[in-house]
Order: sequence, then structure tokens, then C-alpha cells
Amino acid sequence: MDTRLFSYINWSLLVSMLLLFLIGAGNLYSASGTRLDSGMSFSSFYQRQLVWGICGLGCMLAVMSFDYRRLSNLAWPFFLVVLALLLLLTMTGKTIYGANRWLSLGFMSIQPSEIAKLAVILLTARILARKASSLGWKDFFTTLAIAVFPCVLIVIQPDLGTTLMILLILTGMILFHGLHGYVFKICLLFAPCAASFMWFVGMHNYQRQRILTFLNPGNDLRGTGYHILQSRIAVGSGQLWGKGFTEGTQSQLRFLPERHSDFAVAVFGEEWGFIGCLALIILFCFFLLAIFSTALQAKDRFGSLLVAGVFFYFFWQIFINIGMVIGLIPVVGIPLPFISYGGSAMVLNFTMIGMVLNVSMRRFMFFR
Amino acid sequence: MTSHNDSALPSLNLEKPQCKRVLHSWLKIQVEKECYQQPHNGLILMQILIGILFFVLVTRLWYLQIQCGEEFSRLSRENRLRQERIFALRGRIMDRADKILADNRADFGLSLVREDCRDIPATLTQISVWSGIPVSQIWKKYQQDHFKAKSFEPILMLADISFDLLSRIESEIYAWPGLKIVVRTKRSYPQKYIFAHVLGYVAEVNEKEMAEDAALAMGDLVGKAGLELELEKQLRGQKGLYDVEVDAHTHTLDKFLKKEPRNGNEIRLALDLSLQQTALEALSGEAGCVVVMEPDSGKLRALVTSPAYDNNLFAAGISKRDWDALSTNNRFTLQDRSIQSAYPPGSVWKLVMAALFLEHGISPGESVFCPGQVKLGKQIFHCWKHGGHGAVNMENALVASCDVYFYLMAAKIGIDKIENFAKASGFGRPTGISLPHERSGLVPSRVWKRHRFGKPWVRGETYNISIGQGYTLVTPIQIAVYVSALLNGGDLLKPQLVEDGERVVMGRLPASAHTKNFVVNAMRKTASSGTARMVARKDADMGGKTGTAQVVKLKMSAGDRRLRTSEMEYAQRDHAWIATWGAKNGKTYVVIVMVEHGGGGSSVAGPVARKIYDRLFGVEKNLTVKATQAQ
Repeated sequence: MDTRLFSYINWSLLVSMLLLFLIGAGNLYSASGTRLDSGMSFSSFYQRQLVWGICGLGCMLAVMSFDYRRLSNLAWPFFLVVLALLLLLTMTGKTIYGANRWLSLGFMSIQPSEIAKLAVILLTARILARKASSLGWKDFFTTLAIAVFPCVLIVIQPDLGTTLMILLILTGMILFHGLHGYVFKICLLFAPCAASFMWFVGMHNYQRQRILTFLNPGNDLRGTGYHILQSRIAVGSGQLWGKGFTEGTQSQLRFLPERHSDFAVAVFGEEWGFIGCLALIILFCFFLLAIFSTALQAKDRFGSLLVAGVFFYFFWQIFINIGMVIGLIPVVGIPLPFISYGGSAMVLNFTMIGMVLNVSMRRFMFFR
Repeated sequence: MTSHNDSALPSLNLEKPQCKRVLHSWLKIQVEKECYQQPHNGLILMQILIGILFFVLVTRLWYLQIQCGEEFSRLSRENRLRQERIFALRGRIMDRADKILADNRADFGLSLVREDCRDIPATLTQISVWSGIPVSQIWKKYQQDHFKAKSFEPILMLADISFDLLSRIESEIYAWPGLKIVVRTKRSYPQKYIFAHVLGYVAEVNEKEMAEDAALAMGDLVGKAGLELELEKQLRGQKGLYDVEVDAHTHTLDKFLKKEPRNGNEIRLALDLSLQQTALEALSGEAGCVVVMEPDSGKLRALVTSPAYDNNLFAAGISKRDWDALSTNNRFTLQDRSIQSAYPPGSVWKLVMAALFLEHGISPGESVFCPGQVKLGKQIFHCWKHGGHGAVNMENALVASCDVYFYLMAAKIGIDKIENFAKASGFGRPTGISLPHERSGLVPSRVWKRHRFGKPWVRGETYNISIGQGYTLVTPIQIAVYVSALLNGGDLLKPQLVEDGERVVMGRLPASAHTKNFVVNAMRKTASSGTARMVARKDADMGGKTGTAQVVKLKMSAGDRRLRTSEMEYAQRDHAWIATWGAKNGKTYVVIVMVEHGGGGSSVAGPVARKIYDRLFGVEKNLTVKATQAQ
């Protein structure tokens, strides 16, 4: 391997990512603490998260080891394999919390819907890379059609959060690539129709309920409204300086639901206050800007689109998750990258960053 | 740019050349042909999105954590800190000899915690085996209550377990996880009927009471009647508070005592248990009441109403059947007749009229001829004695209870003076006794009649008033206060139920010492040789006056003979009164007995009074009292 490649690595991205990962692990330590009569008890979430992080780092290095342009060739077979896995899942598969998301491989369970995001990013990047100009109607629908199959298979699991993520990433990539003005305008007009179609046909009752509860949390103080309220109380009670590390009463006394997964940032907000949250958001913005700089520097369309896909992958998760925790967006099951606990997601996050680093490393490889 | 460095291509070890070709085409790096230009709009979009992310999230966080931070901080505190009440014991009530009248007893119950219960159907069956209540009923109760309680909260399955059952359950309960014996406090009245009206009862607080008093909460017991209601503030005490730190599952983590509870005051009554018992027995189920008062201090030694009820029924939460039985019977069991009912006083009223006559210059020696009746216009007013009393002076008129004397003298004085004197003597207004819902009675007047009936006063009504008939209504306690004032030098005292209570003078009897002595002497004579002979004793100084208050106009049978009491409808029978005093060994008591629809004062009320004096002064030996059927 060419040692010069290391000097081209986007170090600010790597460093901000590692910082986020460590903050996440530390926060998870605190979030897993439960106060009992006898004192505090910590479960092993943060340790497992660290192990997953190391796995992720391995995947990241593996992804960085070869030229990212080879991924373009792998896009179709990978996409088909993922489709096959999703199909398999609809036939077999464990049902956890009423949703059929996990595929058991005997020694471990994987979530094919997570890998589907990667497959969609790769394939979209490959297809869009062939088009130099803005998309017309034909190309627009061709690109959308790619996403239809995995989205249908994921939505019947049911997993609205992932479906939404895939569609949002796809939208982001299409917008990044560029649309003809008239296509864009007509799509904007069509959006309300699509939204009402989703509401009446595409959604489960509990999902509709969540949105209604979001609009009026007082309606359902024992169910979803309880989540929303307790999470707001947690973040709000952090005030300026926070309650201090492992001092959050909302999380330790188990008022806060899902406190190591989707609501992990509420624990952070409670313990570190506005100052801590501000720092975290600045770090996330810095992280996104680092990805953006790679997109800016990429020397080919595929690389640029790949980085854009990763950018939207992270952007939407950050925006939706934090927005949900602080009561801006209805509750959807979307974790916060590097902060929420989750093995598959962690490995995938590292892999995604690996792809961005790959693009940044090889940005001068063309005209040598 | 067709050529490029391929240093990152991993070395492949493929055997079949065909396969190698396929793989090679898969792994071949595709290079874009034209010079790549970054999509300008796309990059701007990314920057804008980062900007939006930052500003939206930071603004919202500022709003939550800085703007509303204190509010959320309070909510988070409230989340984890619950306040738990520590119940204060309600003060006990004793009689003057420290015998307990109202007590707090432990009520043992059996509760079930679902979370700890392994087999709920089997456990419920076991509860049925212990208690003897059918399983279906236990199931029904469980199904009603288990929604209200969280899985770790106890559901009360049995209450008020007897000691026998309790010991059996205690010895077997180890085999039934999830069952727990719980202790609550309940109010109990060991003397049941004897003090029912005086003590009243407690019951669970209602919404109206909670709205009026912030210290009350759901499930508290408060006084609803009698002294329990009147002395609520003293008896209740103050609840204490625990700050309890809980987690989201309301498991208790820590407890801090925030406020010590203060138990209610114990109260010692002036009443005497044995006297109350005697009085209630003496009334033998008749509707009526007994008041025993010490004239000098105003302390009540007995205040009994019959028929009585068992106030424990209320304290335990009265069943609908019991309530219906008590509230709908025609004897008005729940009414305290000594203070909450007003009756025409009958001849007892003559004690008031005689004092009034003396104060208005009528000489005691002035006599009136009683022919048995007196005419006023077309109306005939009878004396109770058909043949008349002949010539009577004031003392004779009192002792023999001659009606005609009082008709004529009252007509001389006039209604206005009667009204003023009666009101000044404590009638027509409450005596101020510390019991709820005391009645005022009624002293009629010209103004009252015009207001009530729109008609002027007529002379015949003054006749009726003079013998305690007509519109006049008094409560037995008012008579007791009046007779006490005759004896104690003229103080109209507040009847005192509490032993340590102060002597409260509510007013002065507008009568000279001479007047009071005259009336007291007349009562003495009535007891020794007049209509109140029933209470006469050799070992004590006694005085009395009987009364037979007509409920309806005098009814004559066909043979111009008054109907006997037993021949009349219950509701039309006369009220029997006797107002007495007795003194022995320096102790003076006033005893008032009223028997509703009882008949003649001396024949019905007299024996009751006699039994009470027997209890107060001891039974007289070898004495035969001729029960005279004089009015």
C-alpha cells in the first residue's frame, strides 16, 4: 500500500468521529446506570459498545484498504444479496417487539435493513454517476425504482424508521446530483399527496398514533406521550450546566425510556446541560463539515455521490434523533450515530466513514 | 486519464482463467471519461443543511434548557420525590371517669400483591377457604380492583379480620407469596348505643369537605355528626409527611421524614357512662330524651336520646341496608331529641310563666277561681281538671298545675311581655351547646304571627301560650338551662359537654332572687305533694314540675271523656315531660325527661327521672311511692 495515502486522509473526520464514539461510550456508561436501594448498578452496555466499535474500526480499515471505485462494480451484486436477505427475513426471522427485523445466523443476529442502507447508497451512487447532467423525469424514476424493492420489504417488517431513512438518503443524493427545475417543482407540488397517501395507506395504527401524540403529548401520558414528556423533562432539567456525569435522575431512576438506544442523547442533555449539548452539536456539525469537505474534494462523480450519500445518512439520523428527543419531531425509531447503543448500526457507521476516508485518501490518485 | 495507478488492487489467486476474467471485469476500476465538475447546488445544499441543523437544534435546546429549565427541573424533582402521608391518630374520647368512649382500633386486612403472587386463582381460592366468602365473590372483587392498582401495589382483599381468623392466616401465610397482612386504624365506639348521638361518628371524607379543608385527602376519616364533627379540629391532629424518593416503577429508594405527625387531642367528657346507661335503659326504647345537668357549672352528666343507633356502623362504612333502616324509620333514630327536636313544653312552661308573673307585679297571694273552664268569646278553654280547682293562688296553681289561673294571669300580662321574658330566659335561641344542628325552638310573638300567617295576634293564643301549648316550642336542653338558672342564681349557662370546659354564661335570667326562690319552692312542693310526687325522696331535697303537651287539640270521645293514651294514634299521643332538680350532700342536679308521644308527664316521664335519681343518690330503701295518675 502506498504510504502517501495516509497523508491524504481526512484527519479531522477521523478525529471527530473517534471523539463522538468515545463520548457515546461514556454516555452509555452513565445511561446504563440504575440506582437501586443498595446503590448504583451499571450494566455492560458501554463495554459491548466498545467491542462493537473495535469491530467497526476493523471494517473501516478493510473498506479503506482498496480503491473505492471498485465498490461501483460491487453495487449490483451487493444490492441483490441484500434483497435476498430481506426476502428471507419475511419468511423466517425472529419477531422482537412486534417487528420482524432480525435474521439469525446461528452465532449472531443481523439486521438486513441496516445493510440495505449501504446497498442503496452504493447503487444510487453508481447509477447517478453515469449521468453528467441534471436528472429528467426518466432518470428520476429509474433512481426511485431502485429504492422501491428494499423499501417495500422493510416496510412490511414493519420498520418505518429505516424505510424513511432510505427514502431521505435517496432524496438527498438526488438533490445533491441535481434535478431539472420542472421535475423539482412538480415533485414539490406532489409532496402533500404523497404525505396523505402515507398517512392513510402506508402507516400502521401505532405509527399514526405516535404522530398524533407528538402533536398533543397530553393525550397519551402513559404511552408515547410519556416518552416525549419524560425525555423533555430530562433534557430541560439539565439547565445550563447539567446535573453532572452519572447524576441524571431521569435516567438512573428509569423515568426515561429507551435510555441507551434512541433516547441516549437525553441522558447526555440531562447530565451535561446546555453547554454540553452545544458542544456535542458543534462536534456533530464539524463532523458533517468534514464529510462535506471530502465531497468537495472528490475527483470523480461516483466518489462525490458516495460521500454525499454518507453525508445524508448521518445528517438525517442526527437531525431526526435529536429532534425527536427534544420534541421537534414525532417519535421514530432512529438511533443517534456513535451515541446510541447498537451493534449493527455501529459497524455500519464505521464502514460508512471508511468509505468517506477512502475517497479522501485517493483524491489525488488520478493525475499522478 | 485512461491510465491510473492500481496499487490498491488486492492480489488475486484464481485458478480458472475464465473465472478470472469475470472477476476482473467486476473488480475493474471504472474511470469517468470527462473531467468531473462538483455539483455546485448540491454542495450549497449540504452547507445549508448543516446550518439548519445547528440553528434549529441549538435554538430548541436553549428554549428547553435555559428558558424552561427551571420548570423542567421542578418536574424532574416531582418525578422522583413523592410525598407520603403519615397518619395522625385521632384523639380518643373518654367519659369523666376515663372510660373510653371513642377509640382507635387496628383493623387487620389481607392484601394481595400481584407481582409477587405465583398463582392468582389458587391464592384467591385460598382466601375464600380462610374467610368462608364464596370464590366467585372474591374473584369479582379482585377483577374490580386489580385495574386500579399497579402490579406491585397491594389490593385489599379482606378487611376487618377477626383475631381467630388472623391467627390462622398468620400461621399459613408463608405458603402464599403475594399475600400480606395489613394494618389500618379504624374508629370504634365501645359503648355503641349509649353515646351514639353525643359522639356522632366518623366516615370517609367527601369531595365537598376536601374542597373546604386543604389538610384533608382521599380516604381520610372525618367527623360527620355529634362531637366527632363539632370537635373535629381538636380530635384530628396533624398528618406528618415523608419525602419518598422513588424510581419510575414507584419502588421506594429512600425515605426522609419531613414533618412529624401530631396526634389529635384526647378529650374527657363531663358525661358519666353509668348515668348514660341508666338513662337509656330507663327510657326502655321509648322515643325520648334525658338531660342531666349540674346547675352550678353547667356540666352535662347525661345527654341521652332514645331510640339510639350503633355508631360503629357508620365508622365501618355503613351498608345501604343499615342506612335505609336508620334513615327511613318513623322514629327518626338519627335525631338527637335533646337538642335537635323542639316540642311544646306543656305545663313545664308554667315555671317560666310564674317567674314572669312575679316579675310583673302579680302578687303570689292573688287568687283566681277555677271552675274547670273559662270562656273567651265563643271559645271554651278547659282546665285539665274537669271539675276545676276552686280558688287557687300562684303556688297552688303551680303545684296543682291549674290551667285557668295561667290563662287569666297571662291575659293580664299580654303576649309582648311573655315574648320578651321567654326570650331573655334563653328560649327561642340555641343554648350554645357544642353539638351540631341545635334547634332554637320558638317563642311566638305578634310580629312572628303576622310574618308567618299574615294575621294579627288573638287573645286565645295568649291563653294557649300560657300553658305551654300553641305555637311555643322548646328543646329539652333549653328547659335544663332554665331550671339550672333558677338554682344557680340566674346564670343561663352554656351546657358543657367537656369535663375541662369553662363555665360560659350565655345570659342572665331576668328575675329577682325572690322570684327564683318562689319558683324553686313551688317545685319543691310539687315534688313533695303535687304532680311530681313520683320523684319525691326522703334522703334528698327534691323539686319538679310535670308537663303533658298535647300534640293535637283536646280530643273527647263520644261520652265526653278524654281518650286514654292507649286509645290514641301514636303520632297523636301527648308528649310527657318532667323537669326536676334534686340536691343531696351538697350535690345538685337538674334532670329533664321528655318522652315523645309518651302520654302523661308524671306517669311516663316521672319513673324515668326517678331511676336517674336512684343512680345519682342511691336507691331509697323501704319506700313505697304511690304512682299517682295525677296530671
